[in-house]
Amino acid sequence: MSTVAQQLDKSVRDTGPPKRIGLPWGKIVHYLYCSLSYIFLLSPMIVVIGASFHGGEFYTAIKFPPDEPSLRWYTKIPQTQYEALGLSFLLAGSAALGACIIGIPAALGIVRGIIPGKALISSIFRAPLQIPSIVTGIAFLQLFYIVGDATGLYLQGTFAGLYIGHVFVATPYVVGTVTAVLQRFDTRLEEAALSLGASRMSAFFRVTLPVIMPGVYAGGLYAFMVSFGDVPISIFLTSPGFVTYPVELFYGMENDFDPSILASASLVIFFCLLALLGMQKLVGLDALLRSGSR
Amino acid sequence: MTRLKLKKTAIAGALGVACAVLLAGTATAGQFDGVTLRVGTWGGAWKGDQEAVIVPKFEALGGKIEFVTGSPQANLAKLIAGRGKAPFDIMEILDAQIGDFLKAKFLQPIDLSKIPNKADLEDWQYDTNKVGSWFTQETICYNQDKFRELGLARPTTYSDLANAKLKGRLSIPDITSGGGLANFGAFAYAGGGDEKNVQPGLKLINSLNALKFWSRGGEVVTQFQSGDVYAAVVHAGWCVRARKAGANVTTVHPVINDKYVGVHKHGWLGIMKSSKQIEAAHWYINQFIDEDFQFAFATRSGVVPVNKKAIARLAEDPVLKEMLQLAKADIDRQLRLDYTKADIGAWTDQWNRSVTKQ
Repeated sequence: MSTVAQQLDKSVRDTGPPKRIGLPWGKIVHYLYCSLSYIFLLSPMIVVIGASFHGGEFYTAIKFPPDEPSLRWYTKIPQTQYEALGLSFLLAGSAALGACIIGIPAALGIVRGIIPGKALISSIFRAPLQIPSIVTGIAFLQLFYIVGDATGLYLQGTFAGLYIGHVFVATPYVVGTVTAVLQRFDTRLEEAALSLGASRMSAFFRVTLPVIMPGVYAGGLYAFMVSFGDVPISIFLTSPGFVTYPVELFYGMENDFDPSILASASLVIFFCLLALLGMQKLVGLDALLRSGSR
Repeated sequence: MTRLKLKKTAIAGALGVACAVLLAGTATAGQFDGVTLRVGTWGGAWKGDQEAVIVPKFEALGGKIEFVTGSPQANLAKLIAGRGKAPFDIMEILDAQIGDFLKAKFLQPIDLSKIPNKADLEDWQYDTNKVGSWFTQETICYNQDKFRELGLARPTTYSDLANAKLKGRLSIPDITSGGGLANFGAFAYAGGGDEKNVQPGLKLINSLNALKFWSRGGEVVTQFQSGDVYAAVVHAGWCVRARKAGANVTTVHPVINDKYVGVHKHGWLGIMKSSKQIEAAHWYINQFIDEDFQFAFATRSGVVPVNKKAIARLAEDPVLKEMLQLAKADIDRQLRLDYTKADIGAWTDQWNRSVTKQ
């Protein structure tokens, strides 16, 4: 019996798995699809970074691939662009934080609250996404003038004015992501904490918040990106002392083309990638965004 | 005695003159002490030229200039949103906007006696509401090599661009672009219409096969460089840049009709009604139309100076001389639209219905 089994086993080993006939089309299609997706996502960045190394005069045209590779335009990035970049990071970080401070309790209220008109409240928190940003910018500018006329406190052209406008558009992202996580949240975890003697506050900070953190991180990240890249609202709310980076670039390109824009944009891309890689290495982005982690 | 008296008088006179000079010098040096003037203008190199030339002079007089960057359209939107309260003291205004500014009473009168450099401008280029600051010459810019290859003659009118060989190789401004209204109006005139009747212009545009529409002049330079287009309706400054970028292009100032050859778009400076910096605003306008600034600015940005002496100096540059019309007689023959007769909303509406649905 054992001899028969051994013979069968040997024959299977000799034969091995059935051999493929022809090309592995599945793999080819898979790799092709992935490659095209990467090309689609990365090509604008490759063009910007590549063209930033063109050393000659641009005369308003982007030269890719560069004729005369050089770092010339990296040395000519105006101070105003660095200042604008600093303001944008500060503003986007603050707006993301502000959006979280408003968005987390709002999401909790929408999901857990026993309040009339929850659907309406939920819609109100999503409303900023339905309004074209340019309209939001004009509306805030008018509002600030009206408030200024009434109180003497004019917010247009100030950091506070920009901050209010950006928190307004960033908050729905936090509300959306935190609401989604809360809807899947197992309330028995909180009940267990409460039954073991934890206070409501302690249960929230030690059980609920850690579980919903991936939603907070994701919403915060969206909020940061929306604020950092905003042009339509900022156009109306900036002033000579407070110009955000995208607005500075937009105005730099509107009438003419300053090639140093490509150089500074490449630096921003580089540092953002570096920051993401650093976060991945130190903390692990997947861990941050995984439900229930940390 | 007489000699002593004379000596005393001479010393006193010298001291007096010295004091006067000193005082006058001090007054000039501190003329704008503590004044911050806000100027609404385009960003990039456009602002850069003003920063390089005018700002140091103003700072030497004790003042500070802040630029509120943005297109005149964006700055007008800010003005409307702010109900006339402008975040700037002076702003650049396009000719098509003048009517809106006057209707809304956003401007305050200019004291022309404080603008001595106006003497170098044509009379029609200034009044108590606005002072001309630059103009563009809207042209047909074409690639000479490609036209030769295709056996096409040098175009002289817009209709010459309606050639099958140029199908998909022609770029014209979108109505929302900087040169959109001026060129659309020119098409209307060339087709037999005018500011009140733009339908002939639409018919003419639709006869020019498969167009590309540019929204920023810089796009045209890229299109010429890459070989995507062989001809474009664009202001001469962009054509100059395309030449400098390596494309063998030149301009034609199109024959519009029996009366007009070439198209003219004007930029103006106005002082906002809400401005409190009246003296400084006048000083800035005067500096803007100064011969040296006008020449440097025009050479770099590709617009045409309003200052007649600066125009004459442009002829020293062979490329500018070739591409621009610099003689007074030629400039006077260019079509200048009267936007007070135009209903811009209706123009845009008709454009959207007709042109973009091709």
